[in-house]
Amino acid sequence: MTGPGIMGLWRRFKRNPEAPLLGAFVALFFTFMLAPILIVVVVAFNDANFIAFPLRGYSLRWFYRIVEYRPFLDSFIVSLELAFASTFLACVLGVPASLALVRGRSRHADAIATFLLSPLSMPLIVLGLAFLFYLSALGLGVSFLSLLISHTVVGLPYIMRTVAGVYRGVSTDFEETASILGANRLQIFWYITLPLIRPGIFAGALFAILISFDNLPISFFFGSATTNTLPVVMLSYIEHQFDPSIAALSAVQMLLAVVALLVVERIYGLKHMSAPT
Amino acid sequence: MTTATLDAATRAPARKRRKRHAGGVPMWWVLPAVLFLIVFYVFPIAQNGWRGFYPEFAGQGQVFGLAAYAKLLGDGFYLGVIFDTFWLSVLVTLVCLALGYPVAYFLVRYSGRWSGLIIFMLIAPLLTSIIMRTYGWRVLLARRGLVNNLLLDQLGLIEEPLRLVNTEFSAVAGLVHVLVPFMVLAIASVLQGIDLRLEESARILGANRWQTFLRVTLPLSLDGIGTGAIMVFMIANGSFVTLLLIGGDSFKTLPLLIYQQFNTTRDFGFAAAMGNLLLVSAVACLYLQLRLIRRRGVKG
Repeated sequence: MTGPGIMGLWRRFKRNPEAPLLGAFVALFFTFMLAPILIVVVVAFNDANFIAFPLRGYSLRWFYRIVEYRPFLDSFIVSLELAFASTFLACVLGVPASLALVRGRSRHADAIATFLLSPLSMPLIVLGLAFLFYLSALGLGVSFLSLLISHTVVGLPYIMRTVAGVYRGVSTDFEETASILGANRLQIFWYITLPLIRPGIFAGALFAILISFDNLPISFFFGSATTNTLPVVMLSYIEHQFDPSIAALSAVQMLLAVVALLVVERIYGLKHMSAPT
Repeated sequence: MTTATLDAATRAPARKRRKRHAGGVPMWWVLPAVLFLIVFYVFPIAQNGWRGFYPEFAGQGQVFGLAAYAKLLGDGFYLGVIFDTFWLSVLVTLVCLALGYPVAYFLVRYSGRWSGLIIFMLIAPLLTSIIMRTYGWRVLLARRGLVNNLLLDQLGLIEEPLRLVNTEFSAVAGLVHVLVPFMVLAIASVLQGIDLRLEESARILGANRWQTFLRVTLPLSLDGIGTGAIMVFMIANGSFVTLLLIGGDSFKTLPLLIYQQFNTTRDFGFAAAMGNLLLVSAVACLYLQLRLIRRRGVKG
């Protein structure tokens, strides 16, 4: 479908009188979707240290507070390291697995794929509780390594989905050609397959990073002075005070995520990332 | 967010059974991932399942038995919690369907050049942190929040500020806000595949718009509704951050109670038992989801 222009819209209206009603509903729907997000951005610039409408003045002091309040910065660094490390590990495990499941020949491929994607469907709080006890029994306890392992389990399905999605659309011809020309399996993987599936890896990795960054139900089980992630610190902050520094922090976080989203959109296209089938 | 992609993916090579050659990816490449998940995913869950049989009793220590489950399923309070958990998920799923279907329909049939923007607006909220969304709802719905301010001072529709936050309304609104994009995308992807000629035929044969929708379009999109509903139900069942921050006491659900057990009561055996109940429901949803995907796969 290409854009119809104003006249086209009018013609369409005459043909489908329910369209404007539907359009109004959609407008209301997106007001509902965007209002709670946009209001946070507005409040981030609020001058007072409480929030009451109408807002009185505007300032940037809450953005300064982000840098000033040590736990925010410390936990941000923990979250950043965790997101990248767990995503890297998930790629190392997930990329070969999705390649094998797409092209490999096994009667069990369906079952294995379902198994590898199943962490997506499990309630995270239950996983968090189970991970805490299990990893403590292994002697890892509350540590960065424990966080790394549990975030990898959760991130793995995101990598596998996007990589398999891209690889499925890649013709086998390239790999066959390389094989006929004498490349061995590793050479084919490195010089042919990897460049072809790079958009999938990139999109899946970004998704896994964002998911890890926002993870609260698992991370809070592993909270300590050195392993608190940003959402855990934000949660305990929000439970005790309600000043706009959380709003400022959220606004910055959203800015980063939207930039990431736009980058993925340029490289990969959004439709592939979200469509559940 | 389903298993569909890989599922379809694994069936794809059937169209071309090649002779074994050096370029094919060997099946053992799945092993690292499978082993990792067995050790760090299956084992923890199994251990959790086992721990559900070892609840703590005051002064008695751990005793093997079904006591945790007896408490969970025999006590009126906990039965209420289980009921609340499922009722809330059903409610959220129905609201998501009611709000999401028209949006999906608009997206597929009418959005034209705006479809990119609509998809962006659907996905952008998914990328904001859960804390940000609940914070936003609190700012909007607080006693002196934006909604009360508009209704009271600007429009003068009410005399007293409404109590909006920490109510059933805010709990459902918060969860729907998080989950409705999944419903829209699931339905849209099925609507996209419906052959428009079927609707045209219905119209030519004398059905009006409404009949065409009810008798042709809606039944054809049931798969999307099913996929979306299961997904929303499943995530709603396990979510707790939204309820913790803007739900107040309106719904007491299993995830909230697990959080409480962990933070205050510290009866981990009982927390594990509650977790197992949630897991069983998640696995049931997963099974339904697979059934649905298989069916669609067979239909082509």
